[in-house]
Amino acid sequence: MLDYLVSLSVFAGLYGLLALGLNLVWGLGGMVNLGLAGLFAIGAYASALAELRLHLALPAAAIFAALLAAGAGALLAAVTARLKGDYLAIVTLGFAEVIQLLAANEIWLTNGTDGLPAIPAPGRGRLSSFHFDIASTSVVWLAVILVSLLLWRLSQAPYGRVLRAIREDETVAAVAGKRVLAFKVSAFAAGSAVMGLAGSLYAAYTGYVAPDSFDVLVTLLVVLALTAGGLGSMAGAVLGAILVVVLTEGTRFLGGLLPGLSALQVASLRQGMIGVFLLLLLRFRPEGILPERMRRHHLED
Amino acid sequence: MTARISRRTALAGSLALPFLARTGEAAASIPLGAINPLTGAGGAYGPSMAKVAKALVERINRTGGVIGRSIALDVEDDQTNPTVGVEAARKLIDVEKVVAIVGTWASAVTTAVAPLCWDSHTMLFCVSGADSITRLPHHGYIIRTQPNTYLQSGRAAEFLLRHGCRRVSGLSAQTPFAVDSWNRLKAVLGQGGAEGVGDIIYDAKQTSFRSEIDSTLAAKPDTLFLNSYAPDLEILLRESYQAGFAGQRFTFAYAATDAVLKALPAPVTNGLWSFAPSPDVASPAYKAVQAILGISDPDPYSCQIYDHVALVALAIGKAGVASGVAIHDNVRRISQGPGQHVSDPVEGLRLLAAGKEINYDGASGPCHFTPSGDILSCKFLFQVAENRHNKTLSIS
Repeated sequence: MLDYLVSLSVFAGLYGLLALGLNLVWGLGGMVNLGLAGLFAIGAYASALAELRLHLALPAAAIFAALLAAGAGALLAAVTARLKGDYLAIVTLGFAEVIQLLAANEIWLTNGTDGLPAIPAPGRGRLSSFHFDIASTSVVWLAVILVSLLLWRLSQAPYGRVLRAIREDETVAAVAGKRVLAFKVSAFAAGSAVMGLAGSLYAAYTGYVAPDSFDVLVTLLVVLALTAGGLGSMAGAVLGAILVVVLTEGTRFLGGLLPGLSALQVASLRQGMIGVFLLLLLRFRPEGILPERMRRHHLED
Repeated sequence: MTARISRRTALAGSLALPFLARTGEAAASIPLGAINPLTGAGGAYGPSMAKVAKALVERINRTGGVIGRSIALDVEDDQTNPTVGVEAARKLIDVEKVVAIVGTWASAVTTAVAPLCWDSHTMLFCVSGADSITRLPHHGYIIRTQPNTYLQSGRAAEFLLRHGCRRVSGLSAQTPFAVDSWNRLKAVLGQGGAEGVGDIIYDAKQTSFRSEIDSTLAAKPDTLFLNSYAPDLEILLRESYQAGFAGQRFTFAYAATDAVLKALPAPVTNGLWSFAPSPDVASPAYKAVQAILGISDPDPYSCQIYDHVALVALAIGKAGVASGVAIHDNVRRISQGPGQHVSDPVEGLRLLAAGKEINYDGASGPCHFTPSGDILSCKFLFQVAENRHNKTLSIS
């Protein structure tokens, strides 16, 4: 049981990183980015290929993956700069689909739908699987802590204030002399770098990447994590990620509690419960569990 | 002083509950895991696979179990997604301590789950098709009951040779197995004195294949090997007919669907050959699967998972020990070799308990495995289209 919980904590950390990256782009910058599965995939493939083909060590591969994802994110942001809300959401969702199709069809690079197996990670094979999981969870959670501190600092800095201003009203920010496009592109790139890093750690931990790993499900779970935790708050993003893993995995044990249901009924019930949870949350606590704290300055009359 | 439970605490508590509440199973039962695509792209197959596995486990348990112990089956959903599959495998291996995992369907899920299995000495029985799976360094911990591309294409080529095809051209949709299939087909055709005259790989999402067909027909083939899916097959059949091609056409049964035959005029589809790996429809085990599902034509995967569970039970029965290693060491001793042929796992267990040797022949086929875990042979269904219906030519 402990092995299982440790391995879940690795996944919780990975979702946490994705939620943090999304929080910078969406929570602070107000850009709905549903392309995160694509950026996650770019990170995972870049890191896997850097390790397998270029024989880079994992830390170098992770940096490479983050930079590549940042580049892709910046490009995506520059192309979609004029889009907002639903339109931006659809285009970024399309971006993720394109990346998944590329991964499935550019066989010379990605090995197609067979995926890339045997991705090395320091310690795999030498350590027992339990110790490897402990090491993985330490690395992943160290990354979560560092990234959340960094992003929290960034959100408190003037840079974060400008992003929030752009989120609330782009025109006002532009009138105030802020270079809106540069801020949007740089925030998107930074958020994408975090997602790329998550992809790299995912590839190293599971040792296998395939196009199927990066379908819309990942995006939905991370959006759920961020909405549940509290859009705009770094602690909320991490808490939301933990909650999502507890919810998706905890419901696995329902089957034992509800005898008489077929496997399909339990599987459908699990997915239904996750939906119901999100609905209830949005009804009773739309701002999330740990909402963003706004410092308000009262003006004297 | 009153104990106050806030809504937040209550929520946290109720979320933690499922982790704490473990079902109280008899300590003596043998834990077995199934990972099936209950939802997602494989959702058409997973539920019936799970049903078959559960029914066979229940029957084995009712009739005395295996080496005096019952089997506790835990079915997990992989949502046809490798990440979810890995999480499910983690639960099965780390929490339930299963001796084997049966019924992984998508190739990506099998490939993702496989390293966890061989690291923990858990046997993995899969129905996935990708050739790369049995080439993984699995140390014998993977058994695959689905024929791979090599076996399928070889049998397709033998069929074409038997029917006098001499110049075969390939038109293949871009898939991971397109190149492998063509190379194997060409090699077997070559051994039989025929030849493969050019293969074109196309993008299945095109709406016309006229230029592909023109360059294919320039090589004057007498047969087209259409490695297609249903939507592109429909266009290929229509356009090759319009281009005046009058030779034979051969494709996979999953492409030559009733919908395709209904969508085209009979003269266009008449004579279209199609084939598919077939369960052993004469086998008593196949009849057992029919009875469990209550239908006359169970899908191949449901037949295969029946054999997975049977092989696990029989290998444990042979070894006298319930562990992944015991299944690994004994699965070929009960599936192939000189023993008495049995198709009923319960009867097989009885014979094993009496100290006899057995050779299990299952619902999916004879269940003989190569050292790398692939099946040596299975039956294939060949059919021909006549007046917008597929007619069975042979099952061999």
